[in-house]
Amino acid sequence: MSYYFTILSPTDVPLFNIAFGTSKSGGDGIARFRFPDTAQYMNQFIIHSSLDMVEEAQWMNGNMYLKHIDTYPPASAYISAFLTPSGARFLLLHQPPHAAGPNANAGGSGGGGGGGIGGGSSILGGSFAAGSSAARASASSIAANPTSPQTEEAVRQFMAEVYENYVKTVMNPFYRQGMEIRSAVFRSRVTAAGRKWL
Amino acid sequence: MTSPGDAAPVKPPPSFSPGVPRVASKTRYPNQRRDSSPSLDADLAESRVASPTPPLSATTSELPIRSASPRTPSFRSSTPQLARSSLGSPVDGRFEGSEEIRSLIIRSFSPVVGVYASADTDELVRQKGFAGGFWQLIRPFGETIPGKLVIRDSVGASRSWEDYGVRFVDLGNNNQSPPESSGGRSSPLAHVEEVLEKQLGSLDDPLGGSLYPKDFLGFPSTSPLYKLYLRQLLSIASATPHETFRHPVACVIAISSRNTAPLETLRRLYADTNNGDKRVPDWIHPEYLRYYVLVHDEDRDDITESTKLYDQMKRHFGLHCHLLRLRSNQCVVTDDDSVQVPECEWLSPSERLYGRTEPLVDLDTGGLPHVFESDVMAIKAFVRELVAQSVVPYMENRVAVWNDQVASRRRGISGRFMSMSRRWAGFGSGSRSSLTSGGASGNYDTAHGYYKSDAPEAVLRKMADFAFMLRDWKLSASTYELLRSDYANDKAWKYHAGAYEMSAVSMLLSPSSMGTKVKIDAIDQMLETASYSYLTRCSDAPNTLRCLTLAMELLKSRGGSAVESAAKWAMRVMDQGLAGSIGQGLFSERISACYAARNAVPGMKWGSRRRKAGMWSVFAADLWLRLGKPSLASAALEEAERLYADVLQGDGAFSMPEMQTFIDNLRHAVKVEYLEARGLDTRDETATAAALGTEETSEQLDRRKNRKSLVVNPLDSGLSPTQGMRDNDNAADDDFERA
Repeated sequence: MSYYFTILSPTDVPLFNIAFGTSKSGGDGIARFRFPDTAQYMNQFIIHSSLDMVEEAQWMNGNMYLKHIDTYPPASAYISAFLTPSGARFLLLHQPPHAAGPNANAGGSGGGGGGGIGGGSSILGGSFAAGSSAARASASSIAANPTSPQTEEAVRQFMAEVYENYVKTVMNPFYRQGMEIRSAVFRSRVTAAGRKWL
Repeated sequence: MTSPGDAAPVKPPPSFSPGVPRVASKTRYPNQRRDSSPSLDADLAESRVASPTPPLSATTSELPIRSASPRTPSFRSSTPQLARSSLGSPVDGRFEGSEEIRSLIIRSFSPVVGVYASADTDELVRQKGFAGGFWQLIRPFGETIPGKLVIRDSVGASRSWEDYGVRFVDLGNNNQSPPESSGGRSSPLAHVEEVLEKQLGSLDDPLGGSLYPKDFLGFPSTSPLYKLYLRQLLSIASATPHETFRHPVACVIAISSRNTAPLETLRRLYADTNNGDKRVPDWIHPEYLRYYVLVHDEDRDDITESTKLYDQMKRHFGLHCHLLRLRSNQCVVTDDDSVQVPECEWLSPSERLYGRTEPLVDLDTGGLPHVFESDVMAIKAFVRELVAQSVVPYMENRVAVWNDQVASRRRGISGRFMSMSRRWAGFGSGSRSSLTSGGASGNYDTAHGYYKSDAPEAVLRKMADFAFMLRDWKLSASTYELLRSDYANDKAWKYHAGAYEMSAVSMLLSPSSMGTKVKIDAIDQMLETASYSYLTRCSDAPNTLRCLTLAMELLKSRGGSAVESAAKWAMRVMDQGLAGSIGQGLFSERISACYAARNAVPGMKWGSRRRKAGMWSVFAADLWLRLGKPSLASAALEEAERLYADVLQGDGAFSMPEMQTFIDNLRHAVKVEYLEARGLDTRDETATAAALGTEETSEQLDRRKNRKSLVVNPLDSGLSPTQGMRDNDNAADDDFERA
């Protein structure tokens, strides 16, 4: 599973970007997206397009963590979102590894795209993932199954931890709202959270 | 389901027993019975064209509605205008483009009428300059029936349609395709792709901007290229066992006044279609309507002779006769009353590729032959009479009869029990062979992969297709639903896929089933099954593509949350590589259009899918550029800019750096290729910038103004109130990000 995490300001300006891979089940923590290296803009396009769904979901949902909100079937990219009180959005794009491609793809486009909001497709996705990665331990099922309850929970934990660090960072007297976050400490903390939960 | 009370008894096919006037089936049109009208001259035919007399039931209810809704004559609506006008389509005037596509889809499923002309008739028509004979002459006129056509559905309500049509096929070529014609897996699709290539080649001149006509509001209508693609896709199908849309509903048997033994010839032609070499294969229902036409040669033959012969024909064959008066001289452009023959709308891809090569040389006539105006009038009157008085009543009648005899027996609780007991216990059915296993009904011929035409499964399918072609989608949906489990039990996968596909399509077309979430989910499930059966079980790519494309278009025309589903199916098409390279570009644009069709929540700024639409437009531009079609790419890019205009901040720049770089590069590449295609020297950077720069800046100014006015209300933009204050230094932010 590869991850692309972005913090967007309320005016859609990216404040922070990081790409990382899974560290669970023997992952080395390096992102391997399906797109060729020359097409890394795809992540940003997908994130940007999912803002449509975030804008809609934020009024339908009372929680700060909006769960899995959007899917981009051609690359089987899944977007989860988290809202902060100041209007900044945390968006996490996750993409299962390529080996499980066809299965995860079918599961995602079969049930995920229709609703978009909420994790309604977890049943279908779950059945597909169970077939594709039966060899793996149950704890690591988030690696190949982006819509399962375990994944939702892991992403929620990750978001909560990042949010905590984000609040500490933006309370820094030298930080003005809307500035890019360049703090090395924050970056390392996000990396650590990713290693811990995803 | 009950059949209309006035359903005529089972009508035997027109037989050759003389002196049997078959008026019983015509009681619905008492005012139109023409067998007693003595005068047959041409001005009568003309007056019929000018004011086709609809059945009485419609004349009263139809007139006020027509005057209330003035429509431009060129716009043919598929929205039924009828007594039950409250039932109108759910997309009334929401998107003009989707209405058009809907009409296109509906018209693509029109009944097929075979044409079988005697040699002397073809000879006569060939003199007029139609190498293909009688069929070629009347073919373009069948595609639109002039005037409104009233069709009664199974519950007895009548609707009038403006855009009804039939497809004339040459009976000689109709049934040639063997039952398993899926040999060349992608060849029809390759043909479609080739047609597009050709069309693009002819259109891609430097002034290719005309590819995307925009209407006054600046919203682009559906691109003609895509419409061509859709039309091609829908006209691929030849007659196959698993669906009966291409099976003949009727057959026009024509002789001319030159024939020396007319009745003998008619008898021979009929025998040919019945058991001669024009006999239909086992899987086509052999009982279809025969319609007899006497072509009178105005220039050479005596009308009194022909009238006498025609009277004789009527005595023999009953009502399904027509006297068609044509001139046999060839018409040239310079003649006073010459009219160009309209172009065929529904040419199959291979016809489009190989059929019309010679017209390219002939610039004078635009490739289409001319005929006399009187001939056009006569043919139009003939086609209208054929359809309104013979084909449609015949189909209505068949649907009613089959509904009574076959379907209702299955629908009731006892019917279900019967079919179950037959399935499990093995009694109650004579047709069951002891060799078949478990759940199969035994009617399915597994070796050849079809049902015989008289098996209940095949009859039901035919009935559902008839109902579909008569635009009674409620009945057809329920019938397809009935069939689905039968086909699954018999493992007749192609039939199975077809039933699921048409079940979903009829549900989408049926105006009463509004697009609730549950319905859409059910439809998604059906499409999933249909596409799986088509693609994985039968590896039938053209039908899969057709199924998913139909689904996408109809879901899109539903609007609301269905457009997401539509976009999802379009992505599936691209994902599975069903479309060729040009198709990929077209589908990207279509996905963009799907998302763009989603409107924002009233009063709010959220709920639309502008970013997604814009993203797909950019991808489309990228695809077009890779295909070397800079004019299409620039159109797609322009569209993307329009879509992004609402969501981008201030100066229209993307806040994400890599996106901005990509779009800048794309824009530049498109510009360079576009200018190169026009023959400009692109090395001169200033000239390049000057050539296209002006338009861009002016558009951006417009947009900024627009944006400012939108930004005033922070709630509208879905931002938190604290953000409103920060809008002032947006520009600074953006510069910072872009640096």
